[in-house]
Amino acid sequence: MDWGRTQFFWAEVAQNFTRNAAMALTAIGTVAISIVVLGVFLFARSSFNLLLNNVVNKVDIAVYLKDEATPADIDTMMRQLRADPRVDNVRFVSKQEALETLRKRLAGQVNLGLINVNPLPNSFVVHTIDPGDVPPLAGELQAKPQVAFVNYGSKVTEKLLVIRRVLGTIGLGVIVLLLVATALIIYNTIRLTVFARQREITIMQLVGATNWTIRWPFVFEGLLTGLAGGLIGLLVLWPAYQTLAPKLTLNLPFLPLNLADVSVGHIALELVLVGAVVGMLASWLSVSRYLRPA
Amino acid sequence: MIVFEDVSLVYPNGVHALSNISLNVARGEFLFLVGSTGQGKSSVLKCIYREACPTSGDVVVDDWRLSTLPHGKVPFLRRKVGVVFQDFKLLRGKTVWENVAYALQVTGATSRDVARRVPRALELVGIAHKSKMFPHELSGGEQQRTAIARSLVNNPLIMLCDEPTGNLDPETSSEIMALLARINSKGTTVVVATHNQASVDRMRRRVVRLVHGRIAHDEERGRYHVGLG
Repeated sequence: MDWGRTQFFWAEVAQNFTRNAAMALTAIGTVAISIVVLGVFLFARSSFNLLLNNVVNKVDIAVYLKDEATPADIDTMMRQLRADPRVDNVRFVSKQEALETLRKRLAGQVNLGLINVNPLPNSFVVHTIDPGDVPPLAGELQAKPQVAFVNYGSKVTEKLLVIRRVLGTIGLGVIVLLLVATALIIYNTIRLTVFARQREITIMQLVGATNWTIRWPFVFEGLLTGLAGGLIGLLVLWPAYQTLAPKLTLNLPFLPLNLADVSVGHIALELVLVGAVVGMLASWLSVSRYLRPA
Repeated sequence: MIVFEDVSLVYPNGVHALSNISLNVARGEFLFLVGSTGQGKSSVLKCIYREACPTSGDVVVDDWRLSTLPHGKVPFLRRKVGVVFQDFKLLRGKTVWENVAYALQVTGATSRDVARRVPRALELVGIAHKSKMFPHELSGGEQQRTAIARSLVNNPLIMLCDEPTGNLDPETSSEIMALLARINSKGTTVVVATHNQASVDRMRRRVVRLVHGRIAHDEERGRYHVGLG
């Protein structure tokens, strides 16, 4: 590439920024504010999802076996469960172990020493990777001949799963709306900066600039505006997160949530990307309006 | 150099700007377009630099038949047709030097080329000493000189001027017209739409009078009031 042209391109971008500084700063500020609002919502949504997942993840399936089940049956079942891709882990609880647990739990309240036979069955405690797999897996296990019955607190679990799905959808809807709103705000701001330079675009066309020569510096400026706004937004959000997150975790100990588990890096990347991409597209669309055929 | 073949132009708002214009401007010619406001002078110029497309008929500029010129080629036509306006149309954020350089840079000229040709154009119009100033720091005449330098720097075949002295005092107007005559003497075809009676009468070039979008009179070495009886 000819050095003169590269130099011209960068000089155009730099000059447009410095000589329209007030406009550029207003646009960057607007993008930054939009990104802060979007960032707070993205963080809230991630935290809430994490909270719901933490609750739902506590659900286990208890598989009680019939007394007829032989050790070989138990062994086969154990292997089958371990091989199942949906299963996170499986623990076998023998009759004896179950009785011990019960003794400990009822110690001082009921004297189990009076019972001579162990009425408790052998069982498996199964934990799935995805809580959504709990009901179907429980159904499959119930159908096995060695299984007496299966318990996973079906009503509560199913309700929790429904709540998670509904809230997840609502959260997604809110985020999509917010994304659209953010994009529109950024688009409108950048459109105004381009509109203010409509005369310039006409002059560029008059002196024989091709559409691409006119468009590229604008598109790049849009990208830089979005990027700068996004980064400034992060500069506001990051210290706020650092200060508030530990306090929130400390003050809400009853919630099964550790805010440190929220993937803030991921959110930060999303925010900067939203700023940059929307900024670039907004410039592109805005300039194209003025580059119509004569 | 410029040929109008039975050109009519109706704007989208229904205004009939030009009706059956046929005109031939030779290479190196100097032509005044006269007529009161709204008679079609600017529309004739717009058809030449493809800001407007004739509704019927065709315009040929050098080797370009404009009715079939693809949109993507318009910038290349405009590099060969310099345009100067009453309101100068300078880029306010750029200095005199940068305004003139811009017209070269968009053609992909090398920095060496720019450094060589911009000072030459600025000297020709007599504005080299103000090359670092911004348009708002210049007088009207100086701004118009800058605009002329900008349209000159690409060595255009044709120079179109739409009321180039409309915002200038009589003395400055004469200087600008003299500058255009000098540019014309170097071989550039110059078409000037103007109300500047004094200059037209003094220069005695070809004068075309437009009335209601038609050519009412066309005379070699004419005067401003040509065709008005």
